[in-house]
Amino acid sequence: MEEKNASRRRFILGGGAAGLLAGLAGATATGTSAAPPAKPADAPELPKVVERESQLLRMQRELQRALAKPVNERRWAMVIDLRKCVGCSACTVACKSENRLPPGVVYRPVLEEELGKYPNVTRRFTPRPCMQCDNPPCVPVCPVGATFKRADGIVEVNYEQCIGCRYCITACPYGARTFDFGELYTANTPAVQSYELAPSFEYGKQWPRQNDTSPIGNVRKCQFCLHRIAEGMLPACVSTCIGNATYFGDLGDTTALVSSLVGQSNQMRLKEDLGTSPRVFYLL
Amino acid sequence: MLRKGLYALAGLLILVGLWGFFGRLTTGHEQVGYGSYVVWGLWVAQYVFFVGLAGGLFFFATLDYLFGLRLFVGLGRVALFAALVSLGTGLFFIWVDLGHPLRIWKVYFNPNFQSVMTQIVWGYTAFGALTLAALALSAGRGAARRGLNLLLVGGVVLALFLSGGVGALFGVVGSRPFWHVGLLPVQFPVFSVASGAAALLVIVSLFTDRHDALRSSRLWALALLTIGLQLAKLYFLWADFSQSVYGGTPQNIDAVNAVLYGQYWWSFWLLQLLAGSLIPIAILALPRMARNGTAAGLAGMLTLVGFAVARVNIILPALAVPEIEALARAYVEPRLQFSYFPSAMEWAVSAGIIGLAGLVFLVGLDRLPLLVTGKEGGPKTWKTAN
Repeated sequence: MEEKNASRRRFILGGGAAGLLAGLAGATATGTSAAPPAKPADAPELPKVVERESQLLRMQRELQRALAKPVNERRWAMVIDLRKCVGCSACTVACKSENRLPPGVVYRPVLEEELGKYPNVTRRFTPRPCMQCDNPPCVPVCPVGATFKRADGIVEVNYEQCIGCRYCITACPYGARTFDFGELYTANTPAVQSYELAPSFEYGKQWPRQNDTSPIGNVRKCQFCLHRIAEGMLPACVSTCIGNATYFGDLGDTTALVSSLVGQSNQMRLKEDLGTSPRVFYLL
Repeated sequence: MLRKGLYALAGLLILVGLWGFFGRLTTGHEQVGYGSYVVWGLWVAQYVFFVGLAGGLFFFATLDYLFGLRLFVGLGRVALFAALVSLGTGLFFIWVDLGHPLRIWKVYFNPNFQSVMTQIVWGYTAFGALTLAALALSAGRGAARRGLNLLLVGGVVLALFLSGGVGALFGVVGSRPFWHVGLLPVQFPVFSVASGAAALLVIVSLFTDRHDALRSSRLWALALLTIGLQLAKLYFLWADFSQSVYGGTPQNIDAVNAVLYGQYWWSFWLLQLLAGSLIPIAILALPRMARNGTAAGLAGMLTLVGFAVARVNIILPALAVPEIEALARAYVEPRLQFSYFPSAMEWAVSAGIIGLAGLVFLVGLDRLPLLVTGKEGGPKTWKTAN
């Protein structure tokens, strides 16, 4: 009985080792861990998996291509597909984190609306970044020219020039500008958290939160994450959108994803009647 | 008694203001009541009120020096001085409101003249210098007098144009339908002259010689002017609100509803309309009351309070209506709301600035020969006039 058991052990160990060796050899030869099982003869034909490039990778490649062009030939634009937005607010949170936004400052809230009457009810989510208008009402009202339209279409705020009069906030028809009151989320708690004091990198500079220095006392707004774009990265809201609902790219590139989306008949822009010509398009 | 009382009041207001300024200087904008949506508040409203008042007072100075109207002769200098103090008060209010007050020089050295705000800052700076020069020249004769007249002609045009400019500051904002009406730059100069008349009513009733033979007639003339301008203001109010409501634009209707029936309905019905318009009109329409210094002064003061509240009721409703309806619920934080009430610090700073203005005015009255009297020898100081 003992002899029989020992022989069974030898067989299992020997077989296992042989199997392991065969498996390793197979993996080395094919680069996969296991071969697909053979299809039964009577099984139906399955559709082939369509190989498609990641939307994010494509937009990032297009962005890097645009960066190779002179700045005045870039026409940055954003497209938001409202059919794909699930209202998760990941973009809002990512933006808050990326730009180190304090209380009272928000660049990309998601508007939530309930439409219809029961039982025909639905919800609509509309992320609202700065529209980077081609005819921005916020620019001419600034008494010191602190806010201006860049050659690439982004409306910038020069933090060192802004006097904090907030006239531009009243002029924006989208409510896209907010004021930095110098507050902290963790003020009046046992300890102010260091992440709140960490500098933001807006406009390619470091802006630590120190007493009454910019951006405290300034008007702030979405700038399509210019500091990320300069490094070849997509805006934070685009990278973090779980539904791939936000697209970003160069409208000057006719082959870019955003160019094809903007050319669709279901695109619209907010408050177009005001003549602001926003650079943010929505797909309905 | 009156002097001591007014000095004590100014001192008290300044003390309250010191507490407010301490808060403003040490915590910046952290203690203010406005936010990122209702972005202008009490201070901006006071700025608009006081610079408008300055223009109106300047206008009345010209009735003395340029036109020599008998009932206004002798009031020119005190009106110029009051205009200067009022202008300084307004500019002080807007200065503390800035996110970076120490960068104000940029408006002069890096100006964007396309902005109505820049035009107004430059215009009011010129107006202040002009008023100061006019005040200095008002004591002189001959060439100085001719120079004064020239300054006054330029000054009155500038004052009324700037009053309209403050209206345009709001009127050009196309994204706020409640502001974006041609009526604003038209009604602001009327408000400016109306508040000037009311302020002069207070000045004549409180500070001029009670034995001056013209005093009663001056009060009656100013009372009639104030009534007329009050009625004009009420007409503008009607025109503004009725157009907004009949036009049917949702943002306009919401703004009017916010004034009439909103959280601060009482500020419109009780302060602006009842105490600020109807009661003063009722007082001033009675000749016996209007010619009585105390009653006329009270009516003038109520009118000024009503006009100050009216500035608030022009600025806030437009900001309290979301640009996009769902914005109010999109990202909720204390600074991201469409309601506003001034914080204790804002009230305290306002009290301090007004107290300081009052103190400067009282010291000026005591030290400078600004007041008309029935006695010989031209304008006198407050001490010698009474």
